[in-house]
Amino acid sequence: MSSDVKKEKIIRKGAEASLYSGYWFGKNVIFKCRIPKKYRIEELDKRIRTERTLNEARALIKVKNYGINVPQVFEIDSTTSTIVMKYIQGNKLKDILANLDDDLKKKYFYEIGRTIATLHKNGHIHGDITTSNIIITSEGNIFLIDFGLHEYSDTIEDKSVDLHLLKRVLISSRGSNYEYCFNAFLEGYRSRYREIDINECDEIIKNIKAIESRGRYIKPEDRL
Amino acid sequence: MKKLCLGIESTAHTFSVGILDFDGNIYSLINDIFIPEEGGLHPGLVREQHLNNFMKIINSALSEAQISVNNINLIAFSQSPGLGPVLKIGAWISRMLSQMLDIPIVGVNHCIAHIEIGRLKCNIEDPLTLYVSGGNTIVSAFESNRYQIFGETLDLAIGNMIDSFARDAGLQHPGGPKIEKLASKSDNYIPLPYVVKGMDLSFSGLYTAAKYLLQSGEYGKKYNLNDIAYSLQETAFGMLSEVTERALAHIEKREVLLTGGVAANKRLQSMIKYISKEHDARFEVVPLKYAGDNGVMIGWTGILRYQAEGSHTISDTIIKPKERMDQITIPWRS
Repeated sequence: MSSDVKKEKIIRKGAEASLYSGYWFGKNVIFKCRIPKKYRIEELDKRIRTERTLNEARALIKVKNYGINVPQVFEIDSTTSTIVMKYIQGNKLKDILANLDDDLKKKYFYEIGRTIATLHKNGHIHGDITTSNIIITSEGNIFLIDFGLHEYSDTIEDKSVDLHLLKRVLISSRGSNYEYCFNAFLEGYRSRYREIDINECDEIIKNIKAIESRGRYIKPEDRL
Repeated sequence: MKKLCLGIESTAHTFSVGILDFDGNIYSLINDIFIPEEGGLHPGLVREQHLNNFMKIINSALSEAQISVNNINLIAFSQSPGLGPVLKIGAWISRMLSQMLDIPIVGVNHCIAHIEIGRLKCNIEDPLTLYVSGGNTIVSAFESNRYQIFGETLDLAIGNMIDSFARDAGLQHPGGPKIEKLASKSDNYIPLPYVVKGMDLSFSGLYTAAKYLLQSGEYGKKYNLNDIAYSLQETAFGMLSEVTERALAHIEKREVLLTGGVAANKRLQSMIKYISKEHDARFEVVPLKYAGDNGVMIGWTGILRYQAEGSHTISDTIIKPKERMDQITIPWRS
C-alpha cells in the first residue's frame, strides 16, 4: 500500500478481525483485518480468512445496489485478508439500546426490519444479525456491518435462521425489552412485502417457531 | 458438625455420589461408569448397571467420608436433562433417602451444576463457560438472572461426534482420549466441513465427511487414521474456539471456564487458553475429577438452591429429561 494509505490506530479487537482507523487517499477509513488465529492450524486458518474476506467484500458491494446502508468498500487485499472501507461514525445498537426510549426503539427496529427484508427479498442472508453489527449514526441512519457470514440464498429456512439469531440476541441482552423490539422489527420486515409475496413473508416468520422447536431439550408440548 | 449434603448424579453413563458440606469442602466422590461392550449408550443397559450398583456406590461414598447416612442433612440429585430411564433412578433413590431420613430434597439441572462446580473449584466469579461433553455443547454466561445460552450445537454434541467417529474407526468406547492420542501423531490436514452459524455450531456434516474418509479407496494410501483424527479435532475445536471467542467479544466477560468431559482434551485446552489470553480474560479448566459428570457438582448446586429457595416437595422432584438450562432462574446469584 502506498504512502497515501495509512493505518493509524487500533479501534477494536473483535472476535474475528481487528479494526484500525486510518486514511486512504484523503478519506477516513476502517481497515478490517482478519488476523491469523494462532489457535487454529495455518491451513485451516488461511482458508477461513480468505473465504470470509472475499465473501464479505463482495456482499458489501452487492447489497449497496439495493440502497442498503453499508460501508463503501475501497480496497480488498486477500493476501493479508484486509478490507479497506468507509469509516461510519456512530454507535453500536448494542451500546445504546438500554438507553433508548420506546418510540426510538420502535422506529429503529421497524427500520432494521425493512432493511433486512430488502436483503432477503434480493436473495441475501446476512448470517450474523446481532445488535453489535448494527450502527446508528448521529443523524439516526442505520448501517449494517460485518457481512463475513453472508450467504446467497432464497430459501425460507435460511431467512428464518437469520431472523431467529436476532431474536435470540434480543432475548439474551439486558434492557432490550425483547418482545417490543422484535415485534417492531417483524412489523417493519413485513411492510416490505406486497400482496404477491406476503405469503412467503408469513412463512418465514412462522418458520422461526419451527426452528426453535428443533432446538435441543424442547418440551414436547412446545414442539410443532 | 457441619451440615452435609449427599449429591447423586444420574443423567447418562455415570452414576456418581458425592458428599460435601455447606461450605464446599468435599469428603468423598465415588463414580461408576457404564462402558458399553459395543455400540453406544443403550438407556436400558445403562439403567440396569446403575440399578445393580447404586447401593454399593452410596455405601462406599459414606465410608470414604467416614460418616453414617444419618449425618446427611440434604439430598440433591440430577433432575434434568438426561436419559429418562437413568434420571428416574437418581430421582427415586433420592426421594427414598429423603423420606427415610426425613431430610430436605433438591432437584438440580445437570448443566448448571457443571458451571457451579467450576466456579467453586476454580475460584472464579462470573465466567463465560464452554461446556463440552458427550451430551452437550454449550457456550453460556450469566445474564438477566439466568445462565443464558449464547451458542450451542444444532445437532450432535462434540463428545458424541468424536465417540461415534471413533466407533466407526473400530476404537473402543470412550473414543475421545484415543482420538486425541492418534491426532497428536499427525500434522497432515485433510480439509473437512467447518460449519459455524452465528454463534451456533453444526457437527453432523463434519462427522459424515470424516466417516466417508474412512470408507474411501484412498484410506490407508494417501492418508491414515491419524490424519483423519487430526483433521477432525482441528476442525471441530477450531469451530468451538471461534464461537467461544465470538461470545467472549460480544459479552465481554473477564473469565473463561472450560468444563465437561471433553475439557480433558489438551489440544482444546490450549486453544481456549490462547483465546482467553487474546481477550485478557482469565482461563480456567475445571479439574478433571470434577469436569466430567460427578455427584459433587450436583451436591454443591443443590446446596446453593436449598439455601436460596429451600426444599423441593416430592411432587416437584419429577424428572425433566429435556429441560434447558436457560429455562431456570438462578436465585443465588442475584
